[in-house]
Amino acid sequence: MANDDLLQPARRQFALSGLALGAAALLPSVAAAQTPAGPAQASGPIVLHGVSPRLTVHALDTFHGSAATGLRIDFSKLEGESYKLIRTVTANANGRSDEPLLIGESYQAGDYEVLLHVDEYFAAKGAKLPAPPFLSKVPVRIRVANIAERIHLPIQFGPWSYTYSRGS
Amino acid sequence: MTGITTHVLDITTGRPLSGLQIELYDVATEPPTLLNKTRTNPDGRTDTPILPAASARTGQFELRFHVGDHFKAADGLSDVVPVRFAIFDAAQHYHVPMLCSPWFFSTYRGS
Repeated sequence: MANDDLLQPARRQFALSGLALGAAALLPSVAAAQTPAGPAQASGPIVLHGVSPRLTVHALDTFHGSAATGLRIDFSKLEGESYKLIRTVTANANGRSDEPLLIGESYQAGDYEVLLHVDEYFAAKGAKLPAPPFLSKVPVRIRVANIAERIHLPIQFGPWSYTYSRGS
Repeated sequence: MTGITTHVLDITTGRPLSGLQIELYDVATEPPTLLNKTRTNPDGRTDTPILPAASARTGQFELRFHVGDHFKAADGLSDVVPVRFAIFDAAQHYHVPMLCSPWFFSTYRGS
């Protein structure tokens, strides 16, 4: 697939600069810049520009100013009238799933749900909130329309708000 | 004031989003129970509270914003945006706005 990627540089997701994701790991200066992150960041920015089509998610906790490490996320696809669970992932130290939610053959057009278990996340953090909290299970529903383009889904959430968007 | 109100703003124009279909469901039931279905007025609000004060009660609710029908963007990120939240104190007012574009959605407990 990699060769196929390189043959189509005009397509958004195949820009050669996207190889920086892999190249960055080889450059000591970049690695060093990522090390002394403040308390809010588990690591430096991760660049996805130019990588192959995929769906990736990044969850950030605006209450603590940190990656939402440990957040449980149920990822489902709309099948008929209901969402069918594909798998459950836990946000890693950077607030992402270790693997893309969808990639390669699994990256199919359709309607998907990313369900955030923010109630148990903030309970584990010891946040003092009403019972039940304003936000418990937050469903973020997105549509993959064009599988030639990747979708990055950043989600910022706190106990009283959330924002999501098409990222990069 | 008690109950639930909302306000929809289009961040691509900086204006209220008028004519957007919104539904309110009770999601404590299976399947969810439709409580109200309406459209936003020229100010981006509903003419009457989507859950009137007389019906205020604790529970699990979900607003659904039909943004796809409005924006009609082929690559729009979401079609129907659900916002699921709890009323934990029926004596309080729950204002739940939606700031949106075809690729950005933000909600919060407002006032």
